[in-house]
Formats: sequence, structure tokens, C-alpha cells
Amino acid sequence: MEGTLIEQAFTLMLVGMITVFAVLGLVIAMGNALIRFVNKYVPEEEAPAPKAAAPASAAIAPDVKSAIELAVAKITSNKGRIEKIEKI
Amino acid sequence: MNSILENIYGMTAISDIVANPGFIVMYLLAFVLLYLGIKKEYEPLLLIPIAFGVLIANFPGGGMGVNAVDGEGIVTLAVAAKDLANFEIGHCGVVDIIQPATDGAKGLVKFDIWNMTLPAIAHELGLMNFIYYMLIKTGFIPPIIFMGVGALTDFGPMLRNLKLAIFGAGAQFGIFAVLLIAAASGQFTMKEAASLSIIGGADGPTAIFTTIKLAPHMLGPIAIAAYSYMALVPVIIPLVVKLLCSEKELKINMKEQDKLYPSGTEFKNMRALKILFPIAVTVIVAILVPSAVSLVGMLMFGNLIKEIGANTSRIFDAASNSIMNAATIFLGLSVGATMTVEAFLNLQTIGIVVGGFFAFGLSIAGGICLVKIYNLIFKKKINPLIGATGLSAVPMASRVANDIALKYDSRNHVLNYCMSSNVSGVIGSAVAAGILISFLG
Repeated sequence: MEGTLIEQAFTLMLVGMITVFAVLGLVIAMGNALIRFVNKYVPEEEAPAPKAAAPASAAIAPDVKSAIELAVAKITSNKGRIEKIEKI
Repeated sequence: MNSILENIYGMTAISDIVANPGFIVMYLLAFVLLYLGIKKEYEPLLLIPIAFGVLIANFPGGGMGVNAVDGEGIVTLAVAAKDLANFEIGHCGVVDIIQPATDGAKGLVKFDIWNMTLPAIAHELGLMNFIYYMLIKTGFIPPIIFMGVGALTDFGPMLRNLKLAIFGAGAQFGIFAVLLIAAASGQFTMKEAASLSIIGGADGPTAIFTTIKLAPHMLGPIAIAAYSYMALVPVIIPLVVKLLCSEKELKINMKEQDKLYPSGTEFKNMRALKILFPIAVTVIVAILVPSAVSLVGMLMFGNLIKEIGANTSRIFDAASNSIMNAATIFLGLSVGATMTVEAFLNLQTIGIVVGGFFAFGLSIAGGICLVKIYNLIFKKKINPLIGATGLSAVPMASRVANDIALKYDSRNHVLNYCMSSNVSGVIGSAVAAGILISFLG
């Protein structure tokens, strides 16, 4: 009985890891395909709203900006919204 | 006078507590969890409801503990001998009445839970069983929480560093490794081993959803272990990283690597991409692992209504605030209430606590090892911390990894890169749960 349990667990391990890799691999491939699709067919930003904030945040590196966004979201329980980031 | 005092003594919970000291252990556990939640701020939004659920479930006569259901759907309720006359076989799902063997002992009433109406569950078994069997046992709440998690998740960092998402798969290793170890130990059935191992997914709702489907009698200890270890991520990740990574590896600067080996990907419309992405992921997961759709589908739905923006802001607000908050309360309280003396004080609980820790540690190690293998093959080097965050536990794992990186090099900010594997780890663990459920459920 124990032998078959281990066998079953081992099979599950193989099938499980292969499937998880396959699914995430496909998600990555699909993500890349989506990036190409969007760049080709819907390249322009439609939302005009962020333009107001654009000049101010232009000098802020995107990773710094997203770090600040994460921090604000965490502290304000996702209620806070960043309108402008300025270097003082 | 004596009989009045006896009646009062019989009415209070004291006589039962004196008869079974196990209750005291449960109160101590509840107080420790309350302390950790309130004072130490370990996942307070979940640990506090769970701890309070444990507390109120363990007062005999209170009727707030969840009665465990056996494999055939039978719930057994201990009833004072004088109250047995209130039950009748065939009414309100009662299938058997067992008279007490000795004077003063309690009789047993057996209910067929699947043939009870919800009002009958509320009336016969109490409020907490009503909440549990309606919202938790049906598997309703975890996907609802996943919807809220999706609404609070930003797939932007993952899309910007899409390749790193594969490390979210490596970090599911702990789940399957502990499944193998638990099955080999002989202490658990296959379904129990799978429920225990899913703690390695470092995702509370996923662990609860899988356990409800496979081994509901272990729900309390597994939920507690999952949330406790998630709260201990700032301790566990540095521990495993220290064991497996060299200083040189931890100093790998991702931005410099990006400059050396640019990916060449540009983003002309991030908003459109973020809207299309959850729809596409849902379709892929639904086709490959249909049993994971209830989790991944709801996660992606929550994310979609966030990314659409103003047009869906009202339902986004509901999903991420009111619905998520209400679901968290019901989940926490009723999961805590499953931890009655009989369900918690046994050897299996120790196995769950130990096994859960290994599942966590091995998942982090799995992610790190995958990065090491990648670094052996490819020129572009990856910081192993990005593998460690494949664990999920968003976003705490990424913040902890970023702190570790900064400790070795104050300019090396890896947060954004870690978020990629971190978020993909959520999808990975939901997929792993789906696989376990479809094979064993």
C-alpha cells in the first residue's frame, strides 16, 4: 500500500511540475505574443488623463515609480492614488 | 439549594472544561494567536478572526464549533441525555440516535449533512456550522477572496519582466516534494498529504480551497500553518537564502544585467496589454487545468475589472473592499471554529506544522535552484532572490527579497523583478492546487 502511495505521489510530482512549467511557459509565450499584437495593432495610449502627470513623472524611473505606487497602495489599503511624483 | 447550585454549575461551561483539559490548550492557542495578530502584527486581518474563532468554538455548550463531517457526510453531535427526546430519526437530517452508555454521559445524534436544509443546519448545529457549510465547505469563499486578490494585483512588473515569471513554477517544487515525503511517512492518506503539501504554495485561499476539496477535517491546522508561515516569510526566506546563496550571487545587479543584455521589448500600450492579459491567462489555464479555473478565473476577473478602470470602478471597489473584507471575516472566523479539541489535538497537527515548514522552505529552495541552473546555462545572470520569491506570498516575499539585496549592495533594487516571479507564483500555486484536486478529488 505504501509503495503504491509513494508511486502515486511521485507520478503526481512529475505531472504536477511539468504542468506548472507548461502553463507558466505558455503564459509567458502568450504574454510575448500579446505584447507584439498590442504594439502592432493598438500602439497608442488611449487614456488622455495621465498626460497631466506625465511631465512631472517623466524624470522618475519606472521601477522607482512602481515601488512608490506599491508603497502607497499598501499603506492606504489601495485607496490612495498617486497624481504626481516630483523630485524635490 | 444544592440542586439550584448544581443547575447553575451544569449551565456554565465549567464542568465540561474541568472534565476535558484539552479545552485549556485550545484557549492558550487562541491567546497566543491573538497576541501574534494584535501585538506582533502577523497577518492581523486573518490571524485575529481565526484566533477568535478558535476561542469561541471551544466553549462547551456554546455551539460555535464546526462539527466535522466524516467521509460519508455524517456529522455527529454530542447531546445531553435529557435533550435526546427532541430529536427524531428522519427529521431535519437525523439518521441515528445513540443513547448514552452510562448515567451522566452524553448521547450522540448523527445527521446526514447533505440532506439537511440550511435552516435545519442553523437550527440544529448552530450559527458557525451554518456559515461553514454554506460559505466554506461549498468552496465559495476562497475564489471570492482570490477575486479581491486579483483586484489588488498589478501584473505590470510581470509583463515588463515576463521571462522571470518562469521562476514562479520552480518554486512550486516544495508542494510536490512534501507530497512525496508525507505520502512516504505513512501518517497521511494521499488526499491528506496533498492538502498538507499545498501549504508550500504560500497562498492562504489556495491552501484552504484545496483542503476543503481533499481533506476538510484538516482545514483548521492547515489554514493556521499556511497563514503563520506566510507571516514568517521575513524569517524563512533569509534563512533559506543564507543556506543556498553566495554573496556573489546575491550581489548580481539586475539593472546592470539588463543593460548588458537588453531584451529589446518595448511597450507601446501597457493599458491595453494589462486588459488583454487576464483574459488570455484565464483561457490558457481553463484549457489546460480546468479544475484551477475557480481560483485563477476569479483572480483574473478581479484583475480585469481593476485594469479596465473608470467604467468598472464600482465593481472593482466592491471586489477589493466590501466583498473581500466580508469574505475575510467569514473565512477567518469559521476556519478558526473548525479547530475544536478533537480536530486539533492530535499527532496529525504536529505533522502539518512540520510538513508545512518543509513545504515552504523547499519551495523557496526550488526557485533558487532553478535560477542557479539558469545561470549555469545562460550568459545573462539572474539574482537568485528572484527565484526565492516564486513562492507567492505577495507582496511580502518581494519586499523581503529586496531588503536582502539592498543589504549586500545598496544600489541593487530587485523589487520589480521579484514581483514578476512573485505574481506568477500565485498563478503557479493555483495551477498546482488544480492538478492535486483533479487527480485526487
